[in-house]
Amino acid sequence: MNSRMNIRQLLLNNSTIVLFIVVFIIFGIWSPLFYSPENITNIIKQAAFTGIVAVGMTFVLLTAGIDLSVGSNMYLSVVVSGLLMRSTGIDVLPALIISLIVGTLFGAFNAFCIVRLKIIPFMTTLGTLIIGRGIGTALTESKQIDFPEKMNDFGQTLFLGIIPMPIVVFALVMLAGYVLLTRTQFGRQIYAIGNDPEAARKAGIDVDRVMALVYILCGFFAGLAGFVLVSQLGGRVDRSFGEGREFDAIAAAVLGGTSLFGGVGNVFGTFVGALLIQMVQTGLQFNLVNLYLQPMVKAVVIFLAIFFDSLREASQKRLKRRFIRPVSASTAGGD
Amino acid sequence: MTTPLLQINALSKAFFGISAVKSVTLAVHPGEILGLIGQNGAGKSTLMNLIGGVVPADSGEMLLKGKPYTPRTPADANKNGIAFIHQELNLFTNLSIAENIFIDAFPRTRWGMIDRVTIKNKTRDLLQAVGLEIAPETQIERISPGERQLVEIARALYQDAELIIFDEPTTSLTARETERLFAIMRQLKEQGKAIIYISHILNDILKLSDSLAVMRDGQLMAHEPTAAFDVNRMIALMVGRSIEQLYPPRSTPPSTELVLDIHGVSAAGIVENIHLQLHKGEVLGLFGLMGSGRTELARMIFGLDPFEVGDIRVEGVALNNLSPQSSIRNRIAFVTENRREEGLLMNIDIANNIGLVALPEFARTPLLVIDRRELLDNAQHMANTLQLKSGNIALQNAKALSGGNQQKVVIAKWLLSRPAIFIMDEPTRGIDVGAKYEIYAIINQLAAEGSGVLIISSELDELIGICDRILVMSRGEIYGQFGRNEFNEERILRAAFRETAAIPTGEKLPTLDEMAEGSAS
Amino acid sequence: MAIVQDKLSPDSAFALTNKAKRSDRFSGGIGMLRRLLVSDYFVLYLTLLFFLVASIFYPTLSNPASITNQIQNFWPLLAVAIGQTFVLIIGGIDLSVIAVMGITSVAGALVMAENLDPAFFDKSPVWGSLMTEAGGVLAGNPLAVPAAVLTMLLIGTFIGWLNGVAITRFNLAPFMVTLVTSTFFAALALWLTQSRNISGIPEAYVTLGKGDIVSIYLGAKLTPDIARRDILPFITYPFMIAAGLAVVAQFLLSRTVFGRRMFSIGTNRKAAEVSGVPTQSVIIRVYMFCGFCAAMASVLYSGRLEIGQPSFPNNLLLDIIGAAVIGGTSLFGGKGSIRGTFFGVAFFVLLLNILNAMRLSPFIIDAVKGAFILVAALLDIIRTRVANQEQRV
Repeated sequence: MNSRMNIRQLLLNNSTIVLFIVVFIIFGIWSPLFYSPENITNIIKQAAFTGIVAVGMTFVLLTAGIDLSVGSNMYLSVVVSGLLMRSTGIDVLPALIISLIVGTLFGAFNAFCIVRLKIIPFMTTLGTLIIGRGIGTALTESKQIDFPEKMNDFGQTLFLGIIPMPIVVFALVMLAGYVLLTRTQFGRQIYAIGNDPEAARKAGIDVDRVMALVYILCGFFAGLAGFVLVSQLGGRVDRSFGEGREFDAIAAAVLGGTSLFGGVGNVFGTFVGALLIQMVQTGLQFNLVNLYLQPMVKAVVIFLAIFFDSLREASQKRLKRRFIRPVSASTAGGD
Repeated sequence: MTTPLLQINALSKAFFGISAVKSVTLAVHPGEILGLIGQNGAGKSTLMNLIGGVVPADSGEMLLKGKPYTPRTPADANKNGIAFIHQELNLFTNLSIAENIFIDAFPRTRWGMIDRVTIKNKTRDLLQAVGLEIAPETQIERISPGERQLVEIARALYQDAELIIFDEPTTSLTARETERLFAIMRQLKEQGKAIIYISHILNDILKLSDSLAVMRDGQLMAHEPTAAFDVNRMIALMVGRSIEQLYPPRSTPPSTELVLDIHGVSAAGIVENIHLQLHKGEVLGLFGLMGSGRTELARMIFGLDPFEVGDIRVEGVALNNLSPQSSIRNRIAFVTENRREEGLLMNIDIANNIGLVALPEFARTPLLVIDRRELLDNAQHMANTLQLKSGNIALQNAKALSGGNQQKVVIAKWLLSRPAIFIMDEPTRGIDVGAKYEIYAIINQLAAEGSGVLIISSELDELIGICDRILVMSRGEIYGQFGRNEFNEERILRAAFRETAAIPTGEKLPTLDEMAEGSAS
Repeated sequence: MAIVQDKLSPDSAFALTNKAKRSDRFSGGIGMLRRLLVSDYFVLYLTLLFFLVASIFYPTLSNPASITNQIQNFWPLLAVAIGQTFVLIIGGIDLSVIAVMGITSVAGALVMAENLDPAFFDKSPVWGSLMTEAGGVLAGNPLAVPAAVLTMLLIGTFIGWLNGVAITRFNLAPFMVTLVTSTFFAALALWLTQSRNISGIPEAYVTLGKGDIVSIYLGAKLTPDIARRDILPFITYPFMIAAGLAVVAQFLLSRTVFGRRMFSIGTNRKAAEVSGVPTQSVIIRVYMFCGFCAAMASVLYSGRLEIGQPSFPNNLLLDIIGAAVIGGTSLFGGKGSIRGTFFGVAFFVLLLNILNAMRLSPFIIDAVKGAFILVAALLDIIRTRVANQEQRV
């Protein structure tokens, strides 16, 4: 193998990071202020909730499943805690816990349909997507809810006086996701199931239990992400809150190298993916690009990422081709 | 003599009324390597599946250390100290070696995390025991098939297996890896483990095993100390039956007119310099062990896989830009090895399965509307000709048919396109004896009508029964050629096993010239 | 031979759908239920039953005006669901249909709109070129309407082509590809129109969206003039267009080489490839057809609403996929029919109307709709299991 092929392989294997760097440089050239600490902090902060959902989504995609309901889940869990906060005057922390409980229950319902009723994940979560938003809007009677002021304060709080709260939560989730996936039996079994569910069963893994936990966890993260987003939006939740976020989450995970067919992906990749999406968005806003053009640019970036990924896969397939006879013996005539 | 680790008494198993294992009685002792040989379909795999808990036995009993043993699942067998190392490995390629070994129950730290230090150390010890000097955190993806085999053995050791079954472990290994594997097997034996070793490489078995069992047609033909065998006796026992009645007689002689001419086809690492001529009305057999490159060659001829050098001519015309569509236009048919994955549309009715290849022929322009009546009539006619046993072919799905009838559907689908060249990859695999005869009769008929038929099979007596000529393939090369009057099972098997005197196993591959000298007769 | 032919009616012989065996093996109540479950018309029976029961409680549902109104909602949804059914049959998915409807609706308006308000549109990138105060490119031209429709259909088909090419040539997951095209074209439509609906659509075009061909009037003629609202549309242009599309699609699917190949790809792509099916070109064409259908639905919607509408509600995608799945189309491919989708859409439209008649809040309606998707998916699992049991014997 010559060095040019090696470089090509190296670039392909890290295509998202390469893309990330390229985009980062382009924005910097466009406007040097892009590199200011405030702006970079801002990007990470805004990427927080997408990133949190995307971590849950990564778990789900690793099992070759999908969760389309996370956007609705974010909405519903926030609505419930917001209404309770306003009617009973509970504090931020209990409200957060309620959000998490609702999100987890939402995920548990998905898990029940998928594992017990054997409805495929796509249909299950498509159904719960509609149900969740329906219940949420019914609870609010379609009105915007405003969280009490303390919610807003929570979003503006600086941890240790420097790091904004959403970034702290984001970091914790990344860490938790990373630890779960790489350091626990649960995490490793997720990879095994995504690689070959049949072999996983044969190896004695409780596949149903792992699958159920994955959807429950994804729901939990959705509830958390909803809460983080509210605190950033200044406590306002309208009907379209969280709508379409499932696609951002899937895109972030896929950009980070997670395969839709299971078994491949990691939290760090998802982190880069979520940052890349947010950086494109923020960068375009920063440079005052027409609001309407921004999603188009985002679409192009996502397309490039999945396109490079398919090139990588194709070249890997070629490398992994099954050999019957030693290549050297036949082509080089023995050694 | 000690108590056997595993004693099998009169064990039998039948699938759909066809017996696969007939009243086999066999024992394996601690510290013994038992070699198990037999042709494909002789019942070795079924026997091992019975032991490994993959399928339950119909009758007979198994005793493990003197106690009754009835495994219900592979996990059951594992718990009882029986590990099964399949030809197709059961590893997760996206995980590390250590993780694969511990996947169902990781040791944990106080925090509930995987105890990475422990698994790393244990894995290192296990790897050392199997002589593998690779870091425990290496991904399975990155190691060779031989190394993966050793990882499976390490897993078996970890599970404290007392009996390890190896099913043709060396097919994907290099000579060095094979040597290493053998050294480890001997070591395991010295530690008192029992090993059942299934292989097609007879010399290896002679070198390695303590006792040897030969199976044929589901029955145990012999079980004696290895010293009582030589290659000749092994082959005789594996083959030994008159086969005349099993095959319809070849009635028509092949013509001398070439229909398919393959010249010097090579693909690096897969096949090397293949020359093959198929004549009109000829039934040509392509014999070889699994992994000898036969299927890969067939896929190249049909345009499913690429090759780098060489050319293929059909009726004198060189083909280029091969694809299944162009092959079908050139009247080549390809019955694939795997009915389920590449042959049939299982959830679609029989008639539409039969009509799939020749679909455009039943279409009326301009919109390519299908003449359903004509398609159904033709499909029905074909079903009748092949004596397909089915319900209403327009309503019954292919899935609902038996193996033999499914294969007839595949053949019928190609017949409708009236091919001049028929390539069949293992056309009778998994089919009962009666249906086999019918398939042979169809092949005969095809040849009589002037088609050239290339049959790939790992069942030698079948090829001898139906072919005009047999080519032997081994490690991606054509390694011998036998005309009908030279058919001799022993010689053909020798060629396939590379047991011909000129080429000792495990040595360097012969060059093409050497090979030509070796097989020219 | 002859016996076999006698037993088969030409109709039942080759419909490549989820064929139920009409056997008499099952008798009694359970047998009836099983037969009903596996019947192709199961969803239709369910819809009718549903309608009858609901009509008892909500009599307004069954009055003619309400029925015709329901039917008007039915056609555009049917058109777009047909395309999605095609894609699902080959084992794919098209998330971009809603965006295709938006961009084509805008494109059509850009061709034919008769006046455009600069206050709304002067920031559009095409103001002054494709858009002027006088309207769209061909404003006032007698050929404007046909040209607009043609443009819409071409653009829809083109986006489908893009999807198909990316999926087959680059081997990308349909989900991601259509997600990307969806994001892109939805944004493009909003950009071109600055999020405004374009009005000033010519009358001839509006006719396509809601014009009657045959109308009926029920009741006694008491006055010489019948109020417009009492005349009920009976056969309308949308009906003709969507039903025509359904007939063509059903024909393609069940009668042509193309349809057979679609099923073979959806059932087992590898086997189809070995059998000489040009899988890539079939897949590309299926996505093109799906884009075409979405554009057709866009013609009907924007004609009915009398506007060029850049964005359609995202929930529509769920209605579309939900309707197809209720109609028996499998997300794994290889299974589905236009007839099933037709019933599925009918079921969905009826469901919505009943829920509306119940005066539930729109949000509860959503929740119930989602629950119905789940129930439908569950029913499908049960039906498949029953059908398989019948096959096995």
